[in-house]
This record gives sequence, structure tokens and C-alpha cells, in this order.
Amino acid sequence: MDYKETIRDFIVENFLFGESDRLKDDTSFLDTAIIDSTGILELIAFLEETFDVSIEDTEMLPENFDSLNNISLYLSKKRDS
Amino acid sequence: MKICNNCVLPETFPGIVFDDHGVCNYCRRHGLVSDEKRTSQKSRYEGKCTLIIEKLKNKNPYDALMAFSGGKDSTYTLQYLVEKFGLRVLAFTFDHGFLSPMAKENMLNVTRELGVDHIYFLSNPKAINRAFKSSVEEDAYPVKALERASAICNTCMHVAKSLILKTAIEQRIQVIAYGWSPGQAPVQSSVMRLNASMMEKTQGMMIESLSKVMGNDLAPYVLADSHLDILREADGEEYGFYNVHPLAFLEYDEEKILESISRLGWEPPRDTDANSSNCLLNTFANQVHLDRYGFHPYAMENAGLVRDGHLDRDEALERLQQPMDQSLSAAIKQTLDIP
Repeated sequence: MDYKETIRDFIVENFLFGESDRLKDDTSFLDTAIIDSTGILELIAFLEETFDVSIEDTEMLPENFDSLNNISLYLSKKRDS
Repeated sequence: MKICNNCVLPETFPGIVFDDHGVCNYCRRHGLVSDEKRTSQKSRYEGKCTLIIEKLKNKNPYDALMAFSGGKDSTYTLQYLVEKFGLRVLAFTFDHGFLSPMAKENMLNVTRELGVDHIYFLSNPKAINRAFKSSVEEDAYPVKALERASAICNTCMHVAKSLILKTAIEQRIQVIAYGWSPGQAPVQSSVMRLNASMMEKTQGMMIESLSKVMGNDLAPYVLADSHLDILREADGEEYGFYNVHPLAFLEYDEEKILESISRLGWEPPRDTDANSSNCLLNTFANQVHLDRYGFHPYAMENAGLVRDGHLDRDEALERLQQPMDQSLSAAIKQTLDIP
């Protein structure tokens, strides 16, 4: 399943307000200030609701949620496990 | 100005789109989640919070650190932790120099009545005021962050949260409690385990933004490597450090909250604006935000409270339309050296 487009749409609509050019697959949300620390929590809430996954405390790491690539990889692994 | 027929978000709010019934996209998205699911989510997070609190109780000299602003929500959260769980709580207040005198009096009454220790941190006014001034004059935050709070509030929260975490790590207090209202933060973030890599990353952003204006004066507020090492060690333990904000899953009824905390000697301040029960800077911060972005920085919080049925829509509109105290704003501008 390709998660990226759904997540990209959410971020463009909710964090970038339509400015999709700023978001590449490997863009770091935190380094580029697209999403701040509170925004990451909103993103995680969206992922849990949309993809029906339960994200564990110990999984809330930048390496899992700081870019479209990272999230996609994380969700794929999560679904496979 | 067009305002959502269901909540209180105005047409100037970022990314807002109205349907044919005048209802905004934020309300429509909220409507996708059933009441049953919301109730079940709240129960799940309340259970998780209770488990963590019970597991960590009596492990260290203090069971929890309460980010205690003296406002009604943090006061009620403090009362909840002490009276429901019998926790030994250390209350921690970050005074940015603009706490209302009535809020300070409330703090004294509440900590005395509950019997808790209290650290009151009064910040260096020269340094913090430079940060506030810069928040007004520069575009320091992404639009998303400004949806939730004014630039001044964002600056204050960044500094306060960092200092609070630093204190909790130093005191080895593993539960850090905040009094965020249900409109300020979602229930999914109400129990969050903190980890070193996320803290390091988010702190880096804060340092980059604030060190330009605070210079070396920022150092006392940020985590050192030794603090991050302690967090890293805790990453490997079954229970680490947690941020919790219980009001996201508890019943949130302002009348009941006010009634409950009045037993502790807490009185509604008469020296603050309608959206704050502790801060004198808020009026000015709101005015700057409204002038610059065209929407009230409390619109999102109030809209969330209305959607969840915690606040009457007319009451929310009244709060958002309350005139600002111009004389107070002028005094704040002078203090911050803003022309």
C-alpha cells in the first residue's frame, strides 16, 4: 500500500495550506519547520486514525516520522509485523 | 466576517473551507469520528495514564512535576493528581515576568491547601523580553504553530516546556503534567513517552530560533548533553519520562472545574483577559496576532471546545470578540521596547 500520497495530502492541506512544492519525499518536517513538536503529535493522531495502527510510545522517534519516506517505511514495517 | 455556523473559526483561519451549510472543513473532519470512538479513546488514554502513574508512584522523591501556571486548568490538574492519586507533586511555575498578581495569590492558596512543594522560577526579564520582542517583530514560527497560539505564547511555551523538562530530569521526576484544555491538544497526545532523539531534534529547532536573540542567556533554559544522556538511559527502561495532560480525557466542564478549585481558595482573576486566567501579556499577544493574521489566536482552542460540547458557541464568540485592554497593551509595548 502506498501511504505517501494520503499523508502528503494531509500535510499539504493542514501544515502547508496548499504549498505542495515545499514537500519532497525526503524533506525533514522538523528541520524545515514544516511541522513543529506539537504538530508531530497531530500527525501521529492522523496516522493512527487513518491507517488504524497503534503507535507505541517507544516508536515515536524522528527516524519514524520526520519525512514522508520515513513514515512510509515505518508503516510498511508495522503492517508486515 | 464569515464564521463557521458550527464552531467559531472565521474565514481568515488558515486553510479553512466552508460547505454549502456554512460549516468549516475542521468541523467536517471532526464529525468523521463517532462519539463512541471518542469516548473509547478517552478511556484508553485515561487507563494508560493511570497505569503509568501507579507504576511510577513512590519510585522517586516526587511522583509528578506539575507545570503550574496558576490558571484554572493547571490548578485543576494539580488538584486531580494530588486528590485522586495521592501523588507527591512538585509544582513548577515559570514566570515570564507578566503573571497576574491574582494568579500569584491563587498559587499560594492552592499549594498551601493541597500541601505541595512549589518552585517559582522568575525569568531574567532582559533576556526573555528580547525573545518576546523578536516574536512580535519577526516571523519566527510556521503558520501551523500560529494557528494554536500567538507568537509570544509560542516563545513562552518553548522556553517553559524546556525548563520544565530540564527540572524534571534533574529531580528524576518521570511524570510531567500539563493542564492543556481539550481544545489545545488532542487526546492522542495526552500520554506521551519522551525520548532523547525527539527531544534533541525539537530542542535544536528552539535553540536555532531563540539563540539569535537570547544568546548565552538561553543556556539555562535548555537541556545539556547530561540531561539527554539521562533520557537516553531511560529509553531502555520499561517506564521512562512522560508528558501527560489529563484534561484531554477527563470530563471538561468549566463550571465544575471552577467550583472544584474554589475549594482550594482559587478565585477567577479580574486582571486578565477572557482567554487567560493568569497572564497579563496575553492581551497584547492576542492583539498583535489578530492584527497580523486576521484571526484570534484562541479561535482554534475555543472552536475545539465548542465542537466537543465543552463550551457554548455564543460564549466562545463573546470571548473572542471581547475588546482588548488598550492601556495594558500600551504598557506592555513600552516594557518590551516596541515602537
